[in-house]
This record gives sequence, structure tokens and C-alpha cells, in this order.
Amino acid sequence: MRWCLALLICAFVATVNALSSSGSRLLVVLDETTEKSTYSTLWSDLEARGYDLSFESPKSDKLSLFEHGERAYDHLLILPPKSKGLGPSLTPKHIVDFLNKDGNIVLALSGKSSTSSAVSSLLLEVDIHLANDRSAVVIDHFNYDTISAAEKHDVLLLQRSTPLRPDVKAFFDGEGVLALPRVAPQTLGSDSQLLAPILQAPATAYAYNPKEEIPSPDDIEATGSQLNIVSALQARNSARFTVLGSVEALEDKWFSASVKAPNGKKVPTVNREFARQLTGWTFKETGVVKVGKIEHHLATEGEVAAEDLNPKIYRIKNETVFRIEVSEYSFDKWVPFEVPAEDALQLEFTMLSPFHRLALQPISRTETSTVFGTQFVTPDQHGIFSFRVNYKRPFLTNIEEKHEVTVRHFAHDEYARSWAISGGWVWIAGLWAVIGGFLAFVIVWLYSAPTVNKVKKTQ
Amino acid sequence: MAESSLDVLLKGSSGQRTRGLLRIIIILTIAAAAVASRLFSVIRFESIIHEFDPWFNFRATKYLVENGFYSFWDWFDDRTWHPLGRVTGGTLYPGLMVTSGVIYHILRLLTIPVDIRNICVLLAPGFSGLTALAMYLLTCEMSTSPSAGLLAAAFMGITPGYISRSVAGSYDNEAIAIFLLVFTFYLWIKAVKNGSIMWGALAALFYGYMVSAWGGYVFITNLIPLHVFVLLCMGRYSSRTYIAYTTWYALGTLGSMQIPFVGFLPIRNSDHMAALGVFGLLQLVAFAEFVRGFLPGKQFQKLLTSMVLLTFGLGFAGLVLLTVSGVIAPWSGRFYSLWDTGYAKIHIPIIASVSEHQPTAWPAFFFDLNFLIWLFPAGVFLCFQKLNDEHVFVIIYAVLSSYFAGVMVRLMLTLTPIVCVAAALALSSVLDNFLVMSKPTAETQAKANAKDAKIYGKMKNPVVGIYSYFSKAFVTGSLTLYLLIFVAHCTWVTSNAYSSPSVVLASRLPDGSQMIIDDYREAYYWLRQNTPDNAKIMSWWDYGYQIGGMADRPTLVDNNTWNNTHIATVGKAMSSREEVSYPILRQHDVDYVLVVFGGLLGYSGDDLNKFLWMVRIAEGIWPDEIKERDFFTARGEYRVDEEATPTMKNSLMYKMSYYNYQSLFPAGQAVDRVRGVRLPAEGPQLNTLEEAFTSENWIIRIFKVKDLDNLDRDHSNAVAFEKGIKRKRATKKKGPRVLRTE
Repeated sequence: MRWCLALLICAFVATVNALSSSGSRLLVVLDETTEKSTYSTLWSDLEARGYDLSFESPKSDKLSLFEHGERAYDHLLILPPKSKGLGPSLTPKHIVDFLNKDGNIVLALSGKSSTSSAVSSLLLEVDIHLANDRSAVVIDHFNYDTISAAEKHDVLLLQRSTPLRPDVKAFFDGEGVLALPRVAPQTLGSDSQLLAPILQAPATAYAYNPKEEIPSPDDIEATGSQLNIVSALQARNSARFTVLGSVEALEDKWFSASVKAPNGKKVPTVNREFARQLTGWTFKETGVVKVGKIEHHLATEGEVAAEDLNPKIYRIKNETVFRIEVSEYSFDKWVPFEVPAEDALQLEFTMLSPFHRLALQPISRTETSTVFGTQFVTPDQHGIFSFRVNYKRPFLTNIEEKHEVTVRHFAHDEYARSWAISGGWVWIAGLWAVIGGFLAFVIVWLYSAPTVNKVKKTQ
Repeated sequence: MAESSLDVLLKGSSGQRTRGLLRIIIILTIAAAAVASRLFSVIRFESIIHEFDPWFNFRATKYLVENGFYSFWDWFDDRTWHPLGRVTGGTLYPGLMVTSGVIYHILRLLTIPVDIRNICVLLAPGFSGLTALAMYLLTCEMSTSPSAGLLAAAFMGITPGYISRSVAGSYDNEAIAIFLLVFTFYLWIKAVKNGSIMWGALAALFYGYMVSAWGGYVFITNLIPLHVFVLLCMGRYSSRTYIAYTTWYALGTLGSMQIPFVGFLPIRNSDHMAALGVFGLLQLVAFAEFVRGFLPGKQFQKLLTSMVLLTFGLGFAGLVLLTVSGVIAPWSGRFYSLWDTGYAKIHIPIIASVSEHQPTAWPAFFFDLNFLIWLFPAGVFLCFQKLNDEHVFVIIYAVLSSYFAGVMVRLMLTLTPIVCVAAALALSSVLDNFLVMSKPTAETQAKANAKDAKIYGKMKNPVVGIYSYFSKAFVTGSLTLYLLIFVAHCTWVTSNAYSSPSVVLASRLPDGSQMIIDDYREAYYWLRQNTPDNAKIMSWWDYGYQIGGMADRPTLVDNNTWNNTHIATVGKAMSSREEVSYPILRQHDVDYVLVVFGGLLGYSGDDLNKFLWMVRIAEGIWPDEIKERDFFTARGEYRVDEEATPTMKNSLMYKMSYYNYQSLFPAGQAVDRVRGVRLPAEGPQLNTLEEAFTSENWIIRIFKVKDLDNLDRDHSNAVAFEKGIKRKRATKKKGPRVLRTE
């Protein structure tokens, strides 16, 4: 037992030392090791942030995502292979299993060569669609780099995006220009809730395969901001899967390049910073929310005794207090979680449907967490209820808490007594009137008759 | 010498004592026989609670014993009817559990440690011994013949009509309720005969006990007023009746209102209005009798008729008004179905779906009562000959309960006591006539003539009787034969038909040895040991109590069918496509789904055979979504084979029943042995559920409800992906493309 605990503590310390909140083993799948030097800045950046990098070729026999049925790596970075597929140990099924076991993945695509069908069918599983012929690139005649792509217009120059919704925290914003050469565009399924675009193409962009004729308008699948350059999927278990349309953007060359928009100045790219944000988010350095202690109890004055905490059963119309402690991971430490200004963390008290939906207010704050809480009266309906906190926002890990409690009816001795209810006085008066009347009758009956008899007897 | 020593015992005052002693011994023997014949199931199987409802009673009793009376009284059960829960303490008849609890504590006090389960198992046989005693007392009130009571007690002890509900392990309300019914009637007859407040109060006390034990108390609530009403109509009003009835009604009603489940029903429910009405009528009649003493005849006549008309009119109008305005609850559905056997099938399928609510088949009367059923009319006829107040009671009881027993199988139980009384009356009068009367010698005849000259003076033939030895021997011989056959029949029926626990099934192998099929317990224990403590189990309501009792897991619906909508929800989930069912399962937090499938073994009581009831009950709530017609083929057949309708084949119940079933057979040879059909070569696909457990003989199958897909895919797509089937790109849809908005 004791060494178990020690191991646990060791593991805990290890994760604290690593930058990512979910482990530091990163596997990079590279076609050839010679390619490795092209991205050396990226590798050194990642290593500097505490990751243990392993490099494998997709064709390697040693490559396996799992060991003894458990994940062998915490994170996976897949660069597009030159050959047709990703090989037998990186089939879509393996990758989906890796996601299902909480592994995080960055999948880089390239517009230079056509994407393999295995990758395409993997993306189809998560409702991300590639262009029909899988080798189109995004072209924009208004936002391109005049230095490197004066002719082809296929190196996009973009600002990093601001959040799409006001209630979403910004993880990818900042000043500067991104250079994205030869982007393989993705379109996202229209009704998938788990997908979110990180970087959309500008409104003037379109997808085009330079080797082919311009398609007829009917065959064009998406244009403008419907095309995504970087998109993200956060699975229900909060595993992250990021698709980067342009692998070249990670190259050393583009980390330090200077670019010039058609009518702009010459500026250095911010690709390096963006790569940090992107890998940081995907490998759970940011946007990770953790629920700490959850407490609920009857509202009382003063401290709550330990045995009164988190009771299994409440009564209807009980005044109840609910507290939840939430922290957020920010690159290397846990900090108090703050709800964006236009958003609210909500508590639902649910039986089949919510009976209460209340905004949780920040009550106190510790070094690493915020305690949110609220107080409410349990509904006048007995049953099996649950306290639910269901907070799912793009780019934040999911909070889905469900705590079942029973709400019982009044016990026989918990009702107000009859004399305390003014409406009952009529009946109480009636009751005593009958009793009194009966007694009076009995007395009259007992003491009125004999005198007559006496008179008769004496006669 | 022997004769003389017998004479000492049999004649005079010591003879009376000897007879009394004999009678006690006989009664005790009868009680012992009654208990013994109910122990077949314990000997054959084991000391186990039977069937469905007893499992709830057992669980409630355990709760009572563990937590004490007050927390039982306020018990909110969060392990049934998830997520609604059940205010169990306020919605059950606590008499049975409290009785066993008291016995348990008394035994503990006497330092006899007995497991509460054994008390529950043996409670019904124990009380059947008491019933025999109560029957003896009741019948002795009806007849002067000493043999009638003993015969009735013996009949009651072993007749299958009563044994069917009181074998060891059948821990149901009826176990004690029949004793209380008979004993209350005995006390009532005593009260009417003696006009005594004490007997009336005792009757009310036992009536209160009866109310706490069984919903069938309404039978007493209506029978006693009817008895009084008929007596009034026959012009037999007496102060005895008045005292007995008013005492019983006032105290009994107050007593019955102490049971939370009954509460204010006695003054608000139509079922109880007859008792109240007769109470009022009796006051009026008593008042009229009082007034009669002061008024001349003619005036009194006028007064009486006008008063009767007025009160009747006022009372009736008041009743109608209160019923319409809703103060008095209208008749309940179960009540209507007593008068119109087709009513339940149309309006309340949930009541009709219970097999014991079906009309009785004719052979059942003979099966349950054997030769008593043809002695019964003779006994009723004999009651007409004497026709005292108590005989009127027997006649009314006989007529009413015969009707009810014909309407509902389960009411055979209330018919049985009166059949035993009437049959015993008939048989004892036959025996008295044929057995006891010795041939008068010439002197005794002369003596009798002389002695009884005054009495029989007007008769031409003063001494009546059958003295021929032949006819005596013939009649008594044949009656003895009938009695012996009756005993043999009762034993046979008890051992073969009524002693199966239905939790454990027994069957015979070809070589004649017994095979025990224990799939139910196997599955329930699997649940108990392999699922989290609060895993919610969905099954059809029949198995709710057993899952609660044996598997100790929360259920969605159970045999306490108080919420038709909730049951219909389960029916809808079972009879819909997976895509429709899955959100229902998710919403109700269902973790496991349990189905009973008899196809492999040929067990006919399985869920597919009950399936149409699920469909009907669901259709009652969602007529637009579930249609019974869709489950029948174009030719109106209910089929499960290749010809089954698409609705049938896509229903969750069908899929769960036959999932993987074909893998037991060579390709294309899968056979359903209950319905006797060959199944399609390709079995059904399950996407949203996965098989968790299948019992040895495939009777119980348990499926786990899958979580939502991690990548938000359809379950069908996820399953196809797991199987390695490549997904095709969505073909182009017509119309404008749907753009994604954030």
C-alpha cells in the first residue's frame, strides 16, 4: 500500500515536471530521418518544453502506438509520408484507438503531394473532409507572399484568428503574419459538435489543383472561409486531434522567413510562435480544465461536519449548497479557472430534464483553483436527481460531472402540525365540539333520569 | 369390556369431553396436514421465495427488519422506478411485512435465531393452518352438525384453490389475507348473531388488519353492507344488526384509514360508498323503528314512504354530484373490468396483460376445487332451508364470489372459502343422514312415537330416516371414495402445478431424471457481482421485483405498475428502432438491458411472446409512433422468421433476442423452438448495445448500453469502422450545400 502511494506521488511529480498536463512522450512519425533536419527548430523547441521525442519511420517494424494494450506514447505528431499510406502500424483504426485512449495527435498534411487514402478515410471518421482529388491547394489572389509565390499565389499570408465566439477563450491569437505554403484545405462536417476551426482561409481563397482544369461550378465543394487551414477535433474524452493543412509552415525555412503581402511591407513570419501555440494546445499545455473537489450539503450556519458532506439523500424543499473547484492548466502550472465574461458555468439539478439551471458564481479562490458555488431549494418533486455540471466549450477540455442524489418525500413526522395550520382550526374546533357535545350528552343522560324513578318508587 | 370402557369415554359428560379432545386433535391434524402439503416446493427445490411479487415483499421485509418500523413507514425507495423513485412506505399494504417482522422479533426475543427468509418462506403455510381453524369456527356458526366445521376445515386446508397462493415461498399478501378474510367473516357472523359490540369491535379490528394486508379488503367492505342491506330488504331489521354494523363500520373505517396507502379512500372512493350508504340507511331504519313506537300505523306508513323516497333521492343526487365534481373518485379501471371482461383489453392494456386478470377457464373450477364444486350448490340450497341471518350471508357471498371468480382467475381465491363452507354443509348433512342415524328398534320407535306424539302429531309417518344398511353403506362408501379421490387430486395438483417457484424451472430429461434450469438466478447473480452498485437495469416490468430482490440493482419499471407512462416508455424503447431507443435509454441512465428469451429451450414465457403487450401499452401513449399493426404481416400473422415485418425485425426486442443466435447452429439452420420457426440466415445487427451476458440456456440475455461514440459518430458507423468496412464518401446530395457556421 505504502509503495503504491509512493509510486503515485512519483508519477504525480513526474507529470508536474513535464510541461504538458498529460505526459511527455512524443512520437514523431517521419518518412525519412534525413527529413528530420528540415524541422530542427521545431524539435529543439519541443524538447526545450520538456518533451521526450522519438522519431520513427512509418515503415519501421518497431513502430507501435501501443505496448501491452496501453499507450506507448502520450502524443503523436504525424508528418505526411512520401509513400502512399502510413503503413500497417498506423492504420486509421490504430489512430482512432490512440485517440480513444486519451492520446493527442497532430496530423500535418501537405498540398505538395496528394494525401493518402488511409489518412483521408481517417479524417472522414471524424467528419473532416478533404478536397475531392486530395491534392488541391488553397490559393488566394489577395493574401499571398509576393516574394516566394509571385506566380502561383499558393503561399498564404494570414493573421492569426481571433476567437469565433465571444464565450471562447483565445488560444491562437497574437500579432504578426503567418506564412502557410501550399495548404491542403479541409472542410468540416456541418453538424459535428466536436470539431472547431483553428484557422480558416480568407473569404477570397479557393481550392484548386494546379495539375487539373478548373472544375465546373457544380463540383466546387467549398470556398472562402468554409475552407479550413488548421482544424481541431476534441473527442468526448478530451483527446485532441489537430489537422494542419501545411506541413511546410513548420519548416525551419518558414520559421525565420520574411514575407511581403501584395500591398504591404516586408515582415518576419510568426510561424514559430504559432507552432508553439498549436502543439501546446494539442498536447494539452493549454486549454485543460480540471475539476477538483465537489461538495454539496444542506445549507447550514457555520461549518459543515464531515459526515454531513455530500449526503446521498435530500428531502424535497431542502435548502442546498453546491460547490465545485475548477483549475485550469496554463503551460506549466495550474491556475484558477476563470469563466469568460460572456459565458457562465452552470449547474443543473436534473431528473429526466433539468428542474434548476443555475449559474455558478466564483466564491473563493485558492492558489491553483477557483471555487464556484450556488445555493438553491430542491424542487417539490421526489425522485433520483443528479447535480450536473456540463461545460463543453471549443478548445477547452470537457467538464462533465454527474452526481446522483435521492430526493425523498416528507417523512410522517416532518409535516407541520395541525394546530400550526390556520386552515385546520375549523376542523379542530369541530372535533372538540363533537367530543364536548358527546360528553355533555352523557352527563345529562346519566344524571337526569333517576329522579323520575325515585318519585315513582316512593309513590 | 371394550364396549363398556368405550362407553365411559363416549357417553355422558366425559363423552362430551372426549369429543372435545378428539375435535381438537382433529383440528390440529388438519392444520398440520395443511402446512405439510404446502412444503412440496421446499423439499423439491429449496427454501426460496417464489415468483415475482413475493420478491418485493421479501425485500421490503428485509428493509423493515434492518431499519425498523418508522423508517419503513417513511421509506423512499430509490432503487425502483428510476429516476422517479417510489414512496414505498406509503404505497404498500404493510400487514404482511409487519407480521413477519413481529414474528422475527418474537423469535429473536425467545433466543431462537431464524433467518428472516425462512420466516417469509414459511409464513403462508403457517397461516394456512390458522385459516383451517378460522374455517372451522365460521362453519360451526352455520350448522349445528358437529362434522360440518371439521369437514370445512379439512377442505380449506388442502383445496388447491387456496394452495395455489399459499405454498411455502409464496410470500404474497394473500398468504395472510385469506385467513383474515375468513376470520373477519366469522367475527361478523358472531356479531350479527349476538348483537354484541365486542364481537363487532373484534370484527372491525380484524378488518383493519385485513386492510393493512391486502387490497382485496374491498370485498369485505362491500359484502358486509350487502348482507345488512339484504337483511333490511327481507324485513329482518333488528337491534342486533344495528349494533353489529354500526360498530363494525365506525371502528373499521377509522382503522382502515390509518393505512397510508388507503388514507381517505373510504370516504372518497366509489368502491367504499356502499358501506357508507348502508350505514346511513341503517340509521334511518333505526329512526323509523323508533318513530313507529310513537305513531299510529297509517301516518307512519306515509312518513316512511316519503322519507325513504326523499333520502334516496337526496343521497343519489349527492353521490352523482360529488362523483361528477371529482370529490369522490370514479370507479377504478380494475372495478370496471370486473363487469365488462373486454374493458381492460381496450382501455387499460396494462391490466389485461397480467395473466391472472384473465377470465377463468371452466376446467379451472374443477381443477382447483374438485368435487367441492358440485357440492357447492347443494350447500347453498341447504342454506335456503334454514335461512337465518348467517345463511343469508353465505348465499350472498356464494353468488357474488361465483361471479367474480368467473371474471378473473385470481378471484378464485375468494370463492374458495365459501365453497368449502357450502360443501361442508352439504356433505355433513348427507353424512348425518346416512351415517349417524341408527335403525330404530321397535321400542325406541314406540317410545319416539309416544314421546314425540305432540310434536309429530300431525305427521302420518313420524320417524323419518334411512335405515337400510345397503343404502347407508353405498352412500357413505361412495362419499368416502370421493373424499379419497379429493385428497389424491389435491396432493397431485399441489405437487405438480402449484409448487414450482418459477424462479427455478424443473424439467425432465429423456431418461426421467430431473434437470434444474437455474438461468434466472445465474443472470441475477451475474448482475449482482459484475455491475456497479447503481447500474440501472431496464427490463420488462415482470422482472423488476426479481431484479430488485435478487440482483439488488435499480430498475426502471417493476411489478408495482403505478405509472403507465413509465412502463410505456420502456415498451417504446423495446419496440422501436435502435436510433429511437438509444436516446430513451440515455435519458433514463440505463446501463444494462435485460431480456428473457426462450427460443433455445422452448420456454414459452419469454419476452417475444409478451412483446405485443409492450407494443400495445406503448401505442396507448404514442399512437403515432408505435403501431401494433406494423408488427403483423400483411396476412395478419405475428411472425419472427424471414417473413417478419421490417418494424419487427428492426425493433430492439427482436434484435436483442436473436443477436448472435444463429451462431449456435449450422449456417441457415437457426430454429426458434418456442415459436417453431426457422430464422433468417443472417442474424440482426446491434449497434448501440453490446452483449454483456447470456445465461446457460439463453433464457436471460443482458446487454450493455454503449456510451456515446468518442468521436461523435453514429454507432452504426462506429461499428462498421471497427469491423473494417470502409466508409464511402457521402454522395452528393441534391439541393444547396449546408454551410458550417460556428
